[in-house]
Amino acid sequence: MVRSAADRAFLPAKNLFEQVGDMMILTGKTIMSAIRPPYPYGGEFMSQFLFALKLCWFPLLISTIAFGYGAPGVQAANFLTLFGALDRLGGFFVLASIREFAPWVDAMIVAGVAGTAITADLGARKIREELDALQVLGVDPVKNLVVPRFLALMLITGLLDIYALIFGIFGGVVAEFVYHQDLAGFWATFFTNASVTDLWGSVVKTTLFGGIIAIVCCYKGMTASGGAAGVGRAVNEAVVIAFSGIWAFNYVFTQTLLATHPEILVIR
Amino acid sequence: MTEQDSGDRIREEGNLREGVPEGATPEEKFIYHGVVHDHGRDDTVEFIDVVKAFGRNRVLDGLNLGVPDGLITMILGPSGTGKSVCIKHIVGLLYPDEGDVLVQGDSVPDMTDDELFAMRKKFGVLFQDGALFGSMNLYDNVAFPLRQHTEKSEDEIREIVSKRLREVGLGGAEDKMPNELSGGMRKRAGFARALVLEPQIVLFDEPDSGLDPVRTALLCDLIKEVHEENGGTYIVITHDIASARRTPDYMAILWRGKIVEAGMRHELFESENPFVRQFLSGESAGPLGME
Repeated sequence: MVRSAADRAFLPAKNLFEQVGDMMILTGKTIMSAIRPPYPYGGEFMSQFLFALKLCWFPLLISTIAFGYGAPGVQAANFLTLFGALDRLGGFFVLASIREFAPWVDAMIVAGVAGTAITADLGARKIREELDALQVLGVDPVKNLVVPRFLALMLITGLLDIYALIFGIFGGVVAEFVYHQDLAGFWATFFTNASVTDLWGSVVKTTLFGGIIAIVCCYKGMTASGGAAGVGRAVNEAVVIAFSGIWAFNYVFTQTLLATHPEILVIR
Repeated sequence: MTEQDSGDRIREEGNLREGVPEGATPEEKFIYHGVVHDHGRDDTVEFIDVVKAFGRNRVLDGLNLGVPDGLITMILGPSGTGKSVCIKHIVGLLYPDEGDVLVQGDSVPDMTDDELFAMRKKFGVLFQDGALFGSMNLYDNVAFPLRQHTEKSEDEIREIVSKRLREVGLGGAEDKMPNELSGGMRKRAGFARALVLEPQIVLFDEPDSGLDPVRTALLCDLIKEVHEENGGTYIVITHDIASARRTPDYMAILWRGKIVEAGMRHELFESENPFVRQFLSGESAGPLGME
């Protein structure tokens, strides 16, 4: 009875740590496989990149404009109106959109749309024993399936971040119009506060988000079991773990960036 | 069988394995005593005290088995007794928790990834549902190993693929996608793909599952014909007794993760072991119940 109670309490935690450990190992293997010749994954890389682009561009467009307008745009504008400082909205958008919201929405869309498609695809192949067949035919699934998805999602998430920044800031511009404010103050405070560090920090962060999404989604797909229901469960778990991983990594990255570049802490 | 008879039989065989349940009756000891009749050949694949558990479920529980070179070996046993797990250990898709698996004398768990991928080129595997790649048509599925591992021209590949597909009765179906094929056709296509590199060892994971008795018999005959033509070591996993009567040269009966008895086909069909007799006759009365 004691053992059963202990199992119930600790087994989920043990499984979680084992899975995180396995994902770390998969990350190491993926990086090593990507570096070591041969490089047979060019075609699959292009196909995955275009697949993710095709799936993500429109949801990201809608989400970033709506989120940029709705959350930092309207809410912050409403608050700043109290102080007669609506022109500061541009500066706030550097903090809000470039550093946090655009990368966050970008990663959510890539994980939710492209990542889940990857998990479902690999999960279905696992259930049909295609992955076992590949290995038995002497094909390394890490090099041929994980590496191209890892590189494609890193690249697409980094590039889509710039796209998300543009449309996120456009949401702020719309908010300025709604509050009958001209844009001169918005752009003035925006460019006063914006720095190159903000831009590269945002792009590097989202590129690494893409790596996290790819590893989590490939891992969950390749370890799916239990038929069609098992694939559904794997997709669900992949989204939850990818989101959690992104948020945890975001905290570490932001703290490190602010600690190593204190000048971006200064609000001008 | 009296207790005295059972005990005598065990002593005669001199082959009482570890892992016999504590407090087992002589009858139970006799079931578990793991007689392995000599086959007079080298072992291509060997399981040495292999233990494999999934959670608390010990699927392989001290498995000792040698698969003879150049014969068709059939591993039989009730559902859920670890037969497919055996195949996955042979090709390094699973590793034992304890013990060792040797392929032509080399330890599979000790191989590096590169050695493992090289070793797998000796194998052809027919998975339960064929495991065809869903994004490729039949021709590309069968051509895949040739493109992956040989420098053959596309003309040579076309010739080999057409020959293999004709052999399994799928000539003319090259352009079909896997989802357009019946279960039997997918298995035959998987068989063609497994043979295309002329492997030394071919593994069949329940080739009869989901097939009607006639198609099962035809597939078994096909396995025998191809073996006679190409040679090599074939390992067939099944629980189908009709297949056991017509296909194998050598048989091993697996139950609860251990070998109950292994030997040439006639030796097993003449066995006095109550479990083997019950299983091979398909009767409900005997040591094997619904548990």
